[in-house]
Amino acid sequence: MDTDFKVSPAIENVIAELEIQRKKIAASKFQGWGAILLGAFAAFLVFSAGQPVIALIVGAAFIVLGMVILYRISDDIAQYKYRFKQEVIGASLNTLNQSITFNHNDGIAESEFVGSQLFTRRPDRYHTEDLISGKDEKTTFYFAEVHAEYKTETQTKNGRQVHWHDILKGIIFTADFNKNFNGVTVVRPKDFGSSIGAWFSKNLFSFGDKDLIQLENEYFNKNFVTYGTDQIEARYILTPAMMDSISELNERSAYCVSLSFINSSVYIAFPLAHNYFEAPVFKTLLRPDLLKEDMNILGFMLLIIRELDLNTRIWTK
Amino acid sequence: MIIVAIIAIAVLIFGIGIYNSLIGKKNQVANAFSAIDVMLKKRFDLLPNLVETVKQYMQYEGDTLTKITELRGKAMGNSVSEGEKLALDTQIGTAVKGLMVSVENYPDLKANQNFLNLQSTWTESEEQIAAARRNYNSSVTSYNNAVMMFPGNMFAGMLGYQTMPVLETAEVERANISAKNLFNN
Repeated sequence: MDTDFKVSPAIENVIAELEIQRKKIAASKFQGWGAILLGAFAAFLVFSAGQPVIALIVGAAFIVLGMVILYRISDDIAQYKYRFKQEVIGASLNTLNQSITFNHNDGIAESEFVGSQLFTRRPDRYHTEDLISGKDEKTTFYFAEVHAEYKTETQTKNGRQVHWHDILKGIIFTADFNKNFNGVTVVRPKDFGSSIGAWFSKNLFSFGDKDLIQLENEYFNKNFVTYGTDQIEARYILTPAMMDSISELNERSAYCVSLSFINSSVYIAFPLAHNYFEAPVFKTLLRPDLLKEDMNILGFMLLIIRELDLNTRIWTK
Repeated sequence: MIIVAIIAIAVLIFGIGIYNSLIGKKNQVANAFSAIDVMLKKRFDLLPNLVETVKQYMQYEGDTLTKITELRGKAMGNSVSEGEKLALDTQIGTAVKGLMVSVENYPDLKANQNFLNLQSTWTESEEQIAAARRNYNSSVTSYNNAVMMFPGNMFAGMLGYQTMPVLETAEVERANISAKNLFNN
């Protein structure tokens, strides 16, 4: 989805300033990593020539030099990234919706991630950043980048080996839902295991998948499996119109989304390959599409509220 | 011999599973219907309050209000069957919908907080009943599948279970709820 967005003159000035800083950082990074690589290469050559002591001295000298250069710019990088996020991203998001606040150090708490019941696995490693919150007409919302992983261990000849697997790498979006409900309804992408469970529940035994909700929408049933603590409440939330909207939203997303309706809110998980709201170091800031993807993702999140019709407040809530 | 015993036990367990599942599905249908009944009662309970509130403002809608009161009286009667109750609810729904459209002509009523609350509750009850009916239809479909498909049909025949009709979807349930159409304010 392309959002109609124009960078304001004030933000353009900040970008111009940051571009100077970026060039310095890029040059320093290049020098630092260059020195380290050169040191390693020189050490290898001298070592091959049969001079291990000299190889060690030459290699160490270059590597230390490289590390000093990189260390000296670390504060500049932090400041550059901070300014980019606050003064460029934050200010630009505000031009699309004035209520928006952007906090790059904050995110969706792990307890909230687990409590949303979007995923059955608990994360072993969890990282979140870039919290964006605001209000669109009557609906308050917030979303943040989340990287949740679980680990598995295998026994090898050299001992135990840990493998990390993604539960979610993407965005968790949450908004105040426009209807009252007490239970939990979860809509998850259909995988092989859940398809088999749903088929058994539908056609043979009904034990096991007691919480399975069989809905009438064909697209919905083909792509999702729905569970809920209350059959009627799940249908009260997932009206035919709501199922169509979720299907539409899913079609617009690169990967299959997951949704949960809990504690009077809707949670949506979007798996994404791209890391948003980051300051580029080796790419110029002076390009017209600099903020395109970041603004598009916000536009998409605001679209959810419209698509799910969350601003319609005709119920008792 | 052991293999035959294992197969016999497996068949027995499978048979018990199918049998229990069939009974469970039939009970689920009865349960789903009683849920509709509860929702209907909640909705009918709203009506006296609604009629009382709008009566003070709507001087020219006396006939509609009387009709709504009469329909409610019939629906709440003891002798009315479940099917008739659902049909009466559809008639009440249509009458109230007409009433809500007439609200446009009464600006004072449109601004009345009590009426606005009742209107929201009414809309909510409408969606809850729609959800309960969909749940009932889903339970019936699941039950009918079990009764008609192999191997459930063997047990269904023995138990005398027959397929059940699903409820027809009322027009109001098919249409998307629209704030604009409902409120126009």
